[in-house]
Amino acid sequence: MSSIHAALEIGTTRTVLAIAEAAGGGRLSITSRAEIPSSGIRKSQILNIPDATQSIRSVLREVEKRQEATGSKVTIGNAVLAISGQHIMATRTDGQAIVESGRVGDAEIHEAVRRAREMPIPKGRELLDVVDQDYVLDRLGGITAPKGMSGKMLRLNALQIHADANRIQDARSAAEGAHLEIRDTVFATTCAADAVLEEHERRNGSLVLDLGGGSTGYAVYCDGFLLAAGVIGVGGDHVTNDIAHAFQTTNAQAEQLKTEESSAIPVRRTGEGERVRITGSSALMESRTISRLSLDTVVNARLKELFAIIRERLEDQDLVHRLHAGAVLTGGGAGMKDLPRLAEQELGMSVRIGRPIHMDGLDGEKAPWAFAAISGALMYAHANYEDRSILDDIFGRFFK
Amino acid sequence: MSANRSMLLIGVGTAGAQIARGVSRAYGEGLRYVIADTDASTGEGAGDFILLGGDRLSGRGSGGDVAMARLAAEDSVQALDSKIEGVRMAVVVTCLGGGTGGGATLEILNRLSSLGIPSIAFATLPFLFEGDERQRNARGVMSMIEDASGAAIFLPLDKLVSGEDVMESAMKRATDSVASGVTLFWRLVEKPGYLKLDADRLRHLISGAGRGRFAAVTAQGPDRAAQAVDMLIRSETLAIASAAPKAVLCGVLAGDDLRLSELGQIADGIQEAFGKQLSFALGTVNDEATFSGRIAVVVMIFEMDGRASSSADDAKAAGGHRHKRSKSVLGAGPSKRGRFNNAEPTTWRGEDLDVPTFIRRGINLDF
Repeated sequence: MSSIHAALEIGTTRTVLAIAEAAGGGRLSITSRAEIPSSGIRKSQILNIPDATQSIRSVLREVEKRQEATGSKVTIGNAVLAISGQHIMATRTDGQAIVESGRVGDAEIHEAVRRAREMPIPKGRELLDVVDQDYVLDRLGGITAPKGMSGKMLRLNALQIHADANRIQDARSAAEGAHLEIRDTVFATTCAADAVLEEHERRNGSLVLDLGGGSTGYAVYCDGFLLAAGVIGVGGDHVTNDIAHAFQTTNAQAEQLKTEESSAIPVRRTGEGERVRITGSSALMESRTISRLSLDTVVNARLKELFAIIRERLEDQDLVHRLHAGAVLTGGGAGMKDLPRLAEQELGMSVRIGRPIHMDGLDGEKAPWAFAAISGALMYAHANYEDRSILDDIFGRFFK
Repeated sequence: MSANRSMLLIGVGTAGAQIARGVSRAYGEGLRYVIADTDASTGEGAGDFILLGGDRLSGRGSGGDVAMARLAAEDSVQALDSKIEGVRMAVVVTCLGGGTGGGATLEILNRLSSLGIPSIAFATLPFLFEGDERQRNARGVMSMIEDASGAAIFLPLDKLVSGEDVMESAMKRATDSVASGVTLFWRLVEKPGYLKLDADRLRHLISGAGRGRFAAVTAQGPDRAAQAVDMLIRSETLAIASAAPKAVLCGVLAGDDLRLSELGQIADGIQEAFGKQLSFALGTVNDEATFSGRIAVVVMIFEMDGRASSSADDAKAAGGHRHKRSKSVLGAGPSKRGRFNNAEPTTWRGEDLDVPTFIRRGINLDF
């Protein structure tokens, strides 16, 4: 039996758990997954651990049940956790090594890697990942394999991704309450990028936007490297909140208006399409209609602003001109009507929707882009814990 | 506690030391400064010197290694603590691009922050001709410096010199220019004035202000106020392209002849020139001995992005001059934040992004 790995995503709007196994040909297949609306979470941060624990417990039970229905019983004891939130940051770092012999060998490469890994991070932060970029030998940059090259000083550029340690601990505590061990914590946006990006996009320059409920993560790739990443604390919940405020609706009504009626680009319509019906929230409330143009205007203002912030961030880092392959929208919010068209206008580049390309088992899923981060987290688990499976920990639990 | 004990100037790295010494020379008696460097030779002749990472680097410098410099500064935290005891606010001057300027500055700011000492960092960014590596080193630590300090001012060296300057003297000219600006800033805080911006009040204003811009100019003659405003508007280090709301701190240093009309001209000119402002704080220093017949104007502008703003209330509490456009955070107000009422706000360029965009943009809706 091949290894089965689990990944958990505790999002603002939904908690997702999935398990996957190798499907051959370097692909993975999700054999079972479950998602339920999250509670106790706002802006990608846990505010109520017992509520979050309950959500995790529910998806855990559901995945185990669904897996059992396929004829293969598992008890999930651990998972890789994909997190998001505006507390996550990426900062540049590097590691240097003197090339005493004048020719780069394994020792110098290891030294540069070690020193890049050892770069301290600010207090109160927890390191999620150190992502290697290019090597620079003396003044020659963009090197991917420096072994055997001649020079004096080798430097490895890298990107540290770190997060507020307390926020990560809260997520771990919530999982522990559901008897789920978090074996590793990863950044949801880079996971999503791993799942949706084609190799040529990584090389030619691409922006991945992971549109979540509480926040929007971004990751920039060029020449095959992750160049920059971060999170903006604005997500689909902000769109919902704006609608609720503008039209005095409940959150549930606003959510329905957002997902079923609104468009990211306002267009004046006439006749039947001009107005949108809001069903009364209770028997005592009458149904009413609102202007569709106004609804779209509210949504458009928020999304335009989000893209403008992202573009500004990229401009600050001088990255826009490197994005020849355009942008890829993914995450639960990526399915909004006309969103790619608005993104193209505001970001000034071609835009596509990103669905997991290396993952089977999502056939028939209406919004596969919503499973990008969890797919990437499963890919990470398989790549890094090849020799272990979730079953190891089951035995650990029973026999310790 | 004496006034000059309340603020401490820390020069980090070789170039930071040059700036700190320049400030000390220009200010004269009463300014306390400390030099911190990984290179022992920087400390020669310096009164208060901290050799960072003596055991680790043997005083030979960090060799441009930011990580090594951070570790060195961590090693020397006790020496730093002994120098900053009793300090109520620190001004850190440094040049980014090398190892110590970036790495050690970051650790020192972190230490100050963990001890509850507010700090403002003045950090120069390398000349473009210095190459990608130094630019990258500098860029790599900017956001962390911004996070670690109460307020951070980044000054690109290219903007401090003219293209006609001789290359050899450009660095000295640029550091002198920073030293002169920091000296004026120091005078503004430490010298008595009618509208006081002392360390305590400044602390309120800059706390969490984030990344800022800075310029200091001097002028004389009958139209000196107009001249100063004009120079500030044209100042390369103050140039702000975005329309984001800002918190502005303005200090006017002058002799006995400063007229009220000049003060008004400067305040109005700056507010008009730099767009919408969340808060505007004005301070003056009367220093006849130094500024007889001339004025100096120091301006710090903080674009409020992702940080708590120094609110108008703070400005008022600080004795600052509050103007018509002052607000705490643009568009903020619990009733407008809906489900994010009790959430930590998400801000960008001073705007509370939890408030619906259509409200902040003043978009009229047809229901």
